[in-house]
Amino acid sequence: MNFEAKLQKTFSSTSEMLEPEQFINKLTTARYAQALKRSQAISGYLALIVVLFVGILGYNELDQGAILMDGSYYYSTSIDFDQDEDSEYFDDLALYIMEQEEDIWMAFSFLDELAYDKIVNLMEEES
Amino acid sequence: MKTDRELIQEFQTGSDAAFNELVRRYLDLVYRFFQKITPDKMEAEDLAQTVFIKLFKALKKFRFESEFNTYLYRVNVNTANSYFKRNKWRNMLHLDQAPDTGYVETSQEKQWRKEEVWAAVGRLPKKQRLVVMMRISQALPFKDIGNILDMTEGSAKVNYHHGIKRVKLLLGNNK
Repeated sequence: MNFEAKLQKTFSSTSEMLEPEQFINKLTTARYAQALKRSQAISGYLALIVVLFVGILGYNELDQGAILMDGSYYYSTSIDFDQDEDSEYFDDLALYIMEQEEDIWMAFSFLDELAYDKIVNLMEEES
Repeated sequence: MKTDRELIQEFQTGSDAAFNELVRRYLDLVYRFFQKITPDKMEAEDLAQTVFIKLFKALKKFRFESEFNTYLYRVNVNTANSYFKRNKWRNMLHLDQAPDTGYVETSQEKQWRKEEVWAAVGRLPKKQRLVVMMRISQALPFKDIGNILDMTEGSAKVNYHHGIKRVKLLLGNNK
């Protein structure tokens, strides 16, 4: 007997057959399970993308540069007044606060807290 | 009785019953194919299931460029090829740990030899592996093998010749 015939004889055993209806039921279950798994994976990825997007946006919004002081992180509350487009508006706002506030020292202290020293310097120059 | 083409067309318009009819029609062929590849009945059933799940997805876009029979064989062969790749290391282990044939019963010996043959086939380059697999498990003519694997009859013969030579060597060296 040649080699090929010997090999083919190895696979000549009679095989049992599957029950078609039972197989179809299993197949349908497997298909649904696979579809469910796929939709869950897609939802998971979408949720992850949303979380990452919101996280990055939130981080950029909140991160004003943390300062480590005595083992704790502090976030600066200072506002950058140097931009030309905003400076006029803030000058007007500062003047308004000065005019409206009965206790002028309270207003100074508030502006000082905001690191807005332009009006203070102005007052010093005038005096 | 509806033809395969009619059933596929019905399935493409949304009839799952038509697909189930195709499963009934080809289950024996697919299961028998994988029974020759693995001695594990559960594994053969899983592989058959994989084939029909692939078909369920693929038939929706089937354009009848080839016969359904040929297409089904291609899916079978590709699934078997993935199975071989997945089990390459396991098969190599089987081959290396082959027991002395004198100590095993005849029925077990036959089954084990089947694994031994597939372990050797699994070590062949892809084209040779596919041709040898189709030829020794399905006893198909080279013309049909060429048609299924998208190669000429001559190329199938050459690949078979080199593949079988290597299988002979692997099985011979193992004894």
